[in-house]
Amino acid sequence: MTGSSTPFLQHGAAAVGHYVHWGVIQISVANLVIILVMIAVFVLALVVPFPGSRSQTRRDQEDSDDRH
Amino acid sequence: MTATKPRTDQAHREAPSWTSRTRDRVRRTVPEGQWLPDRQPVYVRSWIYVFGVATLAALLVVLATGFVLALEGSQWWHVSSLGHFVNSLHLWSVELFFACMVVHLWGKFFMAAWRGKRALTWITGVVCLLGSIGTAFTGYLSQSNFDSQWISGQAKDGLNAVGVGAFFNVLNPGQMLLWHVVLLPAVVGVLVVAHIVLVRRHGVVPPFDAVPPADATDPTTSGEATR
Repeated sequence: MTGSSTPFLQHGAAAVGHYVHWGVIQISVANLVIILVMIAVFVLALVVPFPGSRSQTRRDQEDSDDRH
Repeated sequence: MTATKPRTDQAHREAPSWTSRTRDRVRRTVPEGQWLPDRQPVYVRSWIYVFGVATLAALLVVLATGFVLALEGSQWWHVSSLGHFVNSLHLWSVELFFACMVVHLWGKFFMAAWRGKRALTWITGVVCLLGSIGTAFTGYLSQSNFDSQWISGQAKDGLNAVGVGAFFNVLNPGQMLLWHVVLLPAVVGVLVVAHIVLVRRHGVVPPFDAVPPADATDPTTSGEATR
């Protein structure tokens, strides 16, 4: 064990991280958080209105009313 | 002699050359107005339609930062602060690329995006995902540090276990670096171009309850804008 290798070992030990164990499933907390954020982004993409969509829908409705 | 000359000129003008055949083929594949349309069907005004182009934007950052890393070399990205920065940009643009691609995949899967003769669009997207995973894995092997050494040892065991270890050697850093910077990016690049051409040809897939503006399988009318 040389002095120069100690910082690397300390870095390696510190980088082990935390894991979630659920039966046969084992996943790091960092990866689990990323997956949950991706699912949240997916759901938000489905429900959050796109900018300008309401005003465009209102204009469409007004155009339709004008024609009738 | 002079009487036959006009006929020869006419025949010369009408003979299809490879350039005119290529031009006609390109025009038939994606008609002119569909390459870069400025109007899209009204159902495209949704965030779920953004993730395809977000994936493409992240890929451009991946390619640009990868170009700089290849230009400067491994010592530069290990020891200089600018090298660390570009290396991190490369890593995080890849993370963003995959996150956007997977959300894009979820959106298209639940929309059954293979409808309307879009099966090849779906298949090129799936194969592109697989090719991107291979490119990312060989990127882990190209870091030239202890991390890549450890990962290549694990990969060797896994690939030998499934019986493909005889075809390539993940413990060979030169081979894996060439796979990462030449072979697999070329495959992914061709697939991405094919995927985009098919999306432009058939138009984006409409939601289940939407009425598309025209028959999307007809390349002369698909993608016709309504808004």
